[in-house]
Amino acid sequence: MTISSDPSKVTAICFDRINIPNQNKLSVARENGAYKFLSTVLKEFDSDKIISEVKTSGLRGRGGAGFPTGLKWSFVPRNTGKPIYLLCNADEGEPGTFKDRDIMRFDPHLLIEGMIMAGFALGVHDAYIYIRGEFLHEANVLNAAIEEAYAANLLGENILGTNYSLNLTVHRGAGAYVCGEETALIESLEGKPGRPRFKPPFPAVEGFYACPTVVNNVETLATIPAILEFGGAWHAAIGKPNNTGMKIFSVSGHVNKPGNYEVPLGTTLRSLIENQCGGLQHGSVPKAIIPGGSSTPWILAEHYDVPLTYDDIVKAGSFLGSGAIIVMDETADMVALTRRLTHFYAHESCGQCTPCREGTGWVERVMTRVENGSGCEADLTVLKEASEHMAGRTICALADGAAAPVLSLLKHFPDEVRSHLKEKVA
Amino acid sequence: MTTLFINDEEVTVTAGTSILEACRKHGADVPYFCYHPELSVAANCRMCLVEVEGFAKPAASCCTPVSEGMKVRTQSEGLSKDRQMVMEYLLIHHPLDCPVCDQGGACKLQDYTITHGANHGRYAEEKRAVVDHDLGPFVSTCMTRCIHCTRCVRFADEIAGTGDMGILNRSDHMKIDGIVEEALESELSGNLAEICPVGALLDKPSHDVSRPWEVTRHKSTCTQCPQGCDIVIESRGKEVIRIKSDHEGVESWICDRGRYVYDAFRSVHRISQPTIKEGDGSVAVAWDEAFAHAVNILKDKKVGIVFSPYWSVEGLASIRMLKDVAFKDAKVAFDLHRRDMRMFAFEEGFGSSTEDIVEADEVVILGSDLRQRLPILMQMLRKRSNEGKSVSRIGAMHYRTNSELSNDQIIRPRDWHAVIARAMQQLIDQGKPAAGMKEWMAKVTDRHEAGKVLADALLADTCCLLVGEEIRSHVDAASLIFGLDMLMRASGHGEVGRDGRNLIPEGMNAQLLSAVFGDVRVSVGELLDAANDGDIEALLLIGSDPLGDGLFPVEAKRAMGKVPMVQVGAIAGQISVFADVQLPAAAYSEVEGTFINQEGRIRVATQPLKSLGEERALWKIMMRLAQDLGFEAPAVSLDGVREAIAQYIPELKDVWAGKADGGWKVPVKRNRIAEMLPNDIEPAMALDVVSRYSMYREGAWVRASASLAEAGRLHALDDVIVHPDTLAALGLKANDKCTFQTSNGACQFVAGTRDDVSPGVLFVSKRGVAGDLSSETMVNLSKGGA
Ligand SMILES: Cc1cc2nc3c(=O)[nH]c(=O)nc-3n(C[C@H](O)[C@H](O)[C@H](O)COP(=O)(O)O)c2cc1C
Ligand code: SF4
Ligand code: SF4
Ligand code: SF4
Ligand code: FES
Repeated sequence: MTISSDPSKVTAICFDRINIPNQNKLSVARENGAYKFLSTVLKEFDSDKIISEVKTSGLRGRGGAGFPTGLKWSFVPRNTGKPIYLLCNADEGEPGTFKDRDIMRFDPHLLIEGMIMAGFALGVHDAYIYIRGEFLHEANVLNAAIEEAYAANLLGENILGTNYSLNLTVHRGAGAYVCGEETALIESLEGKPGRPRFKPPFPAVEGFYACPTVVNNVETLATIPAILEFGGAWHAAIGKPNNTGMKIFSVSGHVNKPGNYEVPLGTTLRSLIENQCGGLQHGSVPKAIIPGGSSTPWILAEHYDVPLTYDDIVKAGSFLGSGAIIVMDETADMVALTRRLTHFYAHESCGQCTPCREGTGWVERVMTRVENGSGCEADLTVLKEASEHMAGRTICALADGAAAPVLSLLKHFPDEVRSHLKEKVA
Repeated sequence: MTTLFINDEEVTVTAGTSILEACRKHGADVPYFCYHPELSVAANCRMCLVEVEGFAKPAASCCTPVSEGMKVRTQSEGLSKDRQMVMEYLLIHHPLDCPVCDQGGACKLQDYTITHGANHGRYAEEKRAVVDHDLGPFVSTCMTRCIHCTRCVRFADEIAGTGDMGILNRSDHMKIDGIVEEALESELSGNLAEICPVGALLDKPSHDVSRPWEVTRHKSTCTQCPQGCDIVIESRGKEVIRIKSDHEGVESWICDRGRYVYDAFRSVHRISQPTIKEGDGSVAVAWDEAFAHAVNILKDKKVGIVFSPYWSVEGLASIRMLKDVAFKDAKVAFDLHRRDMRMFAFEEGFGSSTEDIVEADEVVILGSDLRQRLPILMQMLRKRSNEGKSVSRIGAMHYRTNSELSNDQIIRPRDWHAVIARAMQQLIDQGKPAAGMKEWMAKVTDRHEAGKVLADALLADTCCLLVGEEIRSHVDAASLIFGLDMLMRASGHGEVGRDGRNLIPEGMNAQLLSAVFGDVRVSVGELLDAANDGDIEALLLIGSDPLGDGLFPVEAKRAMGKVPMVQVGAIAGQISVFADVQLPAAAYSEVEGTFINQEGRIRVATQPLKSLGEERALWKIMMRLAQDLGFEAPAVSLDGVREAIAQYIPELKDVWAGKADGGWKVPVKRNRIAEMLPNDIEPAMALDVVSRYSMYREGAWVRASASLAEAGRLHALDDVIVHPDTLAALGLKANDKCTFQTSNGACQFVAGTRDDVSPGVLFVSKRGVAGDLSSETMVNLSKGGA
């Protein structure tokens, strides 16, 4: 790796090798530092040390909820007599998010190495990568990389001559967004329809086949090798307190250079857009920004200078989520945008909870009517109430995600909605 | 224990209880749809939201466990709005066809709309309509009304074990569907209509007939099998609308047999008036005239009395009272599935309570198709299996159980001695002998390895045997049961409190029957043969149908018409064409009376239905007969009959006086002197006959039900079935016509094959077709036929 041991000089963690061609080949990856530190971890570290380093690092889950990874790992009961499973969440379904895909297709060995280390820390012998069904190419790349890793004794029995054994399997999803939700993912992996489970019990205690299970996002796991090599304290020194490390932001929308950018947490939104993304397509400030994937509430220009940290975005009224930033400049039709998002959620609801099953479809139909100009003032109340009473009242957070765009629209752009009513009714 | 506060009231519940259950226990009303106490939690309806201090959002109470000091509110403005919204969500696609929906008036959706809903809906878009699914003869569907609570799916998975309901699609295209067209595979399917909180799944036979507020509910006891489930019969005037499980009763479910038999209550098969034979038919007459005819037939004759166990305890005892005054040396028979009338070491009935069986370390089913025979007990065992507890079985067939058995051995009926002897040997080897075992074993040459399953189970701390019809109907049943008795005593499962000896009875009230008739009973076959031979001059048939049921159809055919017959009954049955006089008796649902189930549980019915015609309680008919035959009636009131019963079972007196401890159970009769050694039976023929017990056709009541007949048709198997190896050994293949040599002559059938029948067994599965084979215990099979 070319990562600097000086935290102030770190420019990338997960994307460190991303631009080197043919990283997916084991030989190339190894030349560039892959698995260099693995044997030290397997031979000299133990579970407690690894978990404590990860705790010290302050790493928070990169999949959406931002839950501290070390803490999650420490919840796993170790002596139940049941196997412990590690599942990598590579479903990457959140609209706007496309970061995990790049890690998997360009540097699959980074993820594999992270999973071996995490697996070792948790006493896991069977791990799975649950990959979004549409990522066929990425699944092929991963499978080829895993095959090479097995051949090189990096996976399988007695890895690198140690006592530790791990099997790693790629499982392709079948195209449901909700299967990115960790318990739906578990159901799906068990061969059942992807419907989230209510909690408790949490997966850490009763997950895959009712055994203790850790589900982590691709980016989360891909950060582990650097943390173990350079130390938790090193990672904690990057970014901001309680919001440490680097983060990949998938930026899309009205910017000149959309794409994935890995920057330290705490970088301001304006800086990311102006310095990395080539600025806005029109105007000097955005009209609205979705900071963490389509399921997060919108923020407005007044928050253009918000530091990109979990905590600061919460203060601004939204969530950092998966780090998928969708930028809308003044040309955006917020009603059309919302209508399209309501269609997504209505289509993706797994259908088990009453509010989400019925509410998402209802809201979509009303939004469609509003967009088409056949809405009325009373529809605003319907949209608001139908959305508010989905959020936080269901088995999983999909309903919260479905409510977010509608509530944001009504909160921030009521006039735009009303102009749709007036404009076309007349 | 965990202490929490529900609406500021301190409440203590078992740790791990859900908030909803804690609320229910303490009278705090929380609305819910998907929750059901007998099913796993699904938490999908979101109606059960409550507020918990410190939680950012309302919590679903059914899936949130209580915690120490938790403060729960079940009422607030916010919750009212949440519930109102859940109702609005649910109603946007609901057809609102309450006026034509059977559920109307007893519908959770309707009730909650009134109590929690808004006064109008705001949904103005297109509504969803869902295609219905054919779920067979018992469940009608209107899937547009479904609210997706998944209770039915969980029922099919967890209770029925058939998994034949499922969820298709997602989002608001989600729908509930059956997997197979036409038939639900479950003998418990009728419960679906009861657990569906709305009118999506409804009772098909009673569809579009009544509204819940028009019916009167009668608490009653089902007598269609020895389980004796608590039921509620819904009637409107003289009509019987439907039967449901009694939610205040001990079990939540009833089986389809007990539920759908109700159409027989009002069928043309009922005997509703006294009749006498005239020419080829019969004519209705007044009671007096009918009694006069009956007296003519019976007076001073050698009488044979055959009756069924469907009657109440009082009705059954009155038969004995009549016999004792009027027919002192009459032959009496009642068990259509028992060939060996010697005393059994443990008579019919359960030594264990249902709880003992459910909790025992080991349960072994011996020779019973328990899913057909005792569907509710089977359901409890299924639950047990699902929890990973052992249930094993030895029998003539791998009968379907819809659950996983820990061990399942198939044997021929002739192997039972060798099975038991093998188990005895193991107990002796492991230092658990019983006096008498050696002598018993000495009479048996072979040892059968299936006995290991039995012996292994016996070595557990607690073990319950469920001894079924294959043993009860064995020609040498008394010695087999004595053998089992020794095994149980040797391994410590015979003592009071740990008694695991359970002989599945023919029907209800078995304990009373062995107490009251133990000294006089003969086999039905013997009685019928006596009629055929002229040793009996007249028959008094009380509710039994030996032509249609049981193991003596050939004997019955031979005897019918040879002697005059008085039929007292509620259902005519096949045999009624031979009746010279018919006296209509009120059905089990139409009398005040007492019923005892297999475990000795007592139920006293006090809210009978009205009979449709001129039926009278059986005890009244018996007493009147006694009088008309010139004797003093032994009793003139129900209390008088009960007094007489108390001679046999004194404790019942307290039950009737309302003084009994509700838990007292009628014990099973033990016969210490029934030390029967195995008979030397030289198997004369190649195949042992086993008759199927089908819950959809066994019993005259059930055959009078049109909807059960339809189910019987859907669940029918081939006429007769053998193992493919049995055919192959004779150079035959499936669907070849075969000739069966029997002790009563030869007959021809096409033998179907199934791997799950024991080799060497001929399984008679269609009584209506191959019924006469049920009279046989052994047959030879050969190629070809006319
Ligand atoms: C509807 C829904 C979709 C989700 N999709 C994803 C996803 O595609 N990828 C992901 O990593 N996490 C997703 N999550 C978050 C996961 O449930 C889970 O929090 C995450 O995988 C945990 O990993 P982390 O701790 O490493 O972030 C989703 C959550 C919800 C509610
Ligand atoms: S909130 Fe929606 S997606 Fe999540 S479990 Fe409920 S119905 Fe399924
Ligand atoms: S059919 Fe009835 S029980 Fe089944 S999901 Fe629908 S409403 Fe619930
Ligand atoms: S299980 Fe037996 S007692 Fe219960 S309903 Fe069915 S037939 Fe009646
Ligand atoms: S009863 Fe709790 S969600 Fe349905």
